[in-house]
Amino acid sequence: MKTWQRSLVAACALLALFGGVAYAQAPGASPVDFPYTGNRTAVWIVAQLHILFAAFILGAPMFVVMSEWLGYRKQEPRYDRLAKEVTKVTVILYSMTALTGGLFIFVLLATYPQFTTWFINQFYLVFAVIYPALFIGETILLYMYFYTWDAWKGEKKSRHIALGVLLNLVGLITLFVINGPTSFMNTPVKAEGISPQEFLLTASLWDKVANYSWMPLNLHRIVGNVTFGGFVAGLIAAYMYMGAKKDEERAYYDWMGFVGNLIGVGAMLFLPFMGYLLAYELCDYDASICPYMMADQLSMFFEMQGAMIGLMFLASNYYIWLSMKRIEGADKVRMTILAPIVMVLLPLVMTKVMEVYPVPDPMSLAFLLPLILAPFTLGRFIPMTVSARTVIKVGFLMVVVGDAIWLTPHGFVPTGAKMVAELELPSDWNFLALMPAKNSAAFTLVFVTVINYVIYNRAIRQGTIVWGKIDFVSQFVLIFLAFSSIWTMGLMGAVRSLLRKYYHTYNLLPDFTAESFTPTLSYSAWWITGITVVFFAVVSFAIIVTLRPSDAKGHAPEVSPVPARAK
Amino acid sequence: MWNVIKKLIVGLVVGGVLVGLTRMFEFPVIFQMMFFAYAMLGSAVFILLDAPALKPMGGLKSVIVLVAFYIVLCTAFISGASMWPQYDPQDEMGKIDKILKPKRLLTDQGKADELIARAKALDEQVKALTVRLKALGGDQATKDPAAGGSGASPATTSTATGDFMKMGEEQWQLQECYNCHKLKGEGGKKRGPELDNIGTYLSVDEIKQKILDPKSFMAEGFEKEWEKGKMPDKYKDLMEENDVVALASWLGTFKNTAVPTPKPIKKK
Repeated sequence: MKTWQRSLVAACALLALFGGVAYAQAPGASPVDFPYTGNRTAVWIVAQLHILFAAFILGAPMFVVMSEWLGYRKQEPRYDRLAKEVTKVTVILYSMTALTGGLFIFVLLATYPQFTTWFINQFYLVFAVIYPALFIGETILLYMYFYTWDAWKGEKKSRHIALGVLLNLVGLITLFVINGPTSFMNTPVKAEGISPQEFLLTASLWDKVANYSWMPLNLHRIVGNVTFGGFVAGLIAAYMYMGAKKDEERAYYDWMGFVGNLIGVGAMLFLPFMGYLLAYELCDYDASICPYMMADQLSMFFEMQGAMIGLMFLASNYYIWLSMKRIEGADKVRMTILAPIVMVLLPLVMTKVMEVYPVPDPMSLAFLLPLILAPFTLGRFIPMTVSARTVIKVGFLMVVVGDAIWLTPHGFVPTGAKMVAELELPSDWNFLALMPAKNSAAFTLVFVTVINYVIYNRAIRQGTIVWGKIDFVSQFVLIFLAFSSIWTMGLMGAVRSLLRKYYHTYNLLPDFTAESFTPTLSYSAWWITGITVVFFAVVSFAIIVTLRPSDAKGHAPEVSPVPARAK
Repeated sequence: MWNVIKKLIVGLVVGGVLVGLTRMFEFPVIFQMMFFAYAMLGSAVFILLDAPALKPMGGLKSVIVLVAFYIVLCTAFISGASMWPQYDPQDEMGKIDKILKPKRLLTDQGKADELIARAKALDEQVKALTVRLKALGGDQATKDPAAGGSGASPATTSTATGDFMKMGEEQWQLQECYNCHKLKGEGGKKRGPELDNIGTYLSVDEIKQKILDPKSFMAEGFEKEWEKGKMPDKYKDLMEENDVVALASWLGTFKNTAVPTPKPIKKK
């Protein structure tokens, strides 16, 4: 796609946005009925697609600029190539973000005109001035960043990196700005003793934006976007690795897949905690949200989330395992015996400690920190060591145990109201379904993954990586991680929206339509899968269109196909 | 191959032990099956770890394998999600309708709908009356005893009281109070106090005050929850006056002294 074509797409999207805002002001607009999907699902599909594209174009530039900086600092062209290739895909997906954004506004206006009018009026300055201005600014910066890549080389490289940092800053501000209205729908401003409607009349724009769940949502989305960007970079690498015909290309895309996965997993380690923070704030805002999420209508959505995260942790650790196999000399790497011991003890000890000192009581850290740090602080004083292979295998065992704890429900019922003894955990074992156990399970997954990366780091220091020689199945692991992370994002996005129950804006503006009810998990899964497939089809197309021709041009071999000393 | 069989056997043994243990601790069958499945998952993971390397593929073959892989993923995710117990939206629809009905009536659309519904109901009544008059042969219909005659008064009063209490119970369900409060041995997860003896401590007016202003009373032993404002301060906006009175009146009938309902302390 040429510059003028991309600009045209972006202009159309902006026109759609402004046109939409103008249309929203027209009185008496009546809703349409979307065939087959219904109105709510139609909005769901378009909104989710828009968010997926938006997440990528915000997440990818973060590690693109980091990669470019690393390339500049280490004087390694492969980092620069990675950054540029991901940026190429980002530019195409940027147009898709704008298009789906415009489509989102149109569908929203057509299906919920009264609500949309009210909503836009609440945030008129954001929707009509701040957001479009930021979007235009981001567009200009992205194109500048992309088209000055080759021109600003050598001495001008730092200028180019600075431009990338600026692009990220504007992107982050855009995310923060649009998260204001989004989080407002879940947790509108309120004050004790005053009705939300009355308080809204006196609330400033800042009051509305800086609502209860705004900052937790910002943090959650930043980390989620980086995870997502990393895994999509892994996906790009997997596609290109599969299509590569030369050893150098395979070596390069093997390396790229590793870096993408490293960033994805690195950010994913923080995701459970960010999600927990968001859920904590939502429950703090209105305690009735908590049982709706965890014990009632949405409880099985969280079971599915647990299954997905468990699978993703298994897959990411499997990728490390496969990566270790291509390091010559990795079998000589050893680690203190404390590492597997702590892995095994962690879920038990953490559950007990968290029961006595529940989150956010900092006393729990007094017990947990020494335990977690023991392999690093005490390890050197204990002569007993075990092989890296043993540590990783114990780690896998504990990931399965962690998954099992995370997945164990209080009962196999969709709502607490339908609980019967034949489907309920025995009361003595009820702790398995409570938050201390779930926290310990999440932390076990994170801890095992960190230990595995520490081992990997030792292996590449002591051994030699043979890039391009990784087990071919690893490419499917990368694709699995990208697909699963996007699917999980869709699932949790649906949960966040459904938390508003039968309101467009929680407790403020009821949704009187016949579709305002909690859909089944199965129904949701069909649509989430459909949306993920559409997104994947577009991303795959973008990858093929942008990166395929580079084969013909050829690249200077950035990575030696022969075994080289790892850096 | 022997490696795979060995790991399968280990998985089956571990699964068997887990089933035995969970049976011993009286876990329901579904949990026993779940723990067995975890053991088999572990087995699958360890089989995968030592599986031989997959040979590189390219061209059309890799495209076909990739598409097949995506189909497997889609099928696994959809069927995985469908295997969990599914919430029936029908359970919620009636509730939502009842909660939103008074709010809908306040909107222009709601008023119009209400007028149309009333006109339709009147039309139906007129049609029914016409048929009845025809069947009775004119003026006999007017001689029928009135529904609200003096003799019917106690029954009507009793029915009205019963209906009012029913309305209160219905509000308990609609507002999902059971999610935090235990009553008649059902619901609650210790988030809020058990309410079986609340009628002994608080009058109907005081219960009403607590619902509308959760900070007005604090249950003994729930100091943290009270300070954090765990009970949502939203019912004054969500519920109609009649509904709050009905709920408070219904709760006021609970005077089971055998249940340790914590003593409410007046704060406002």
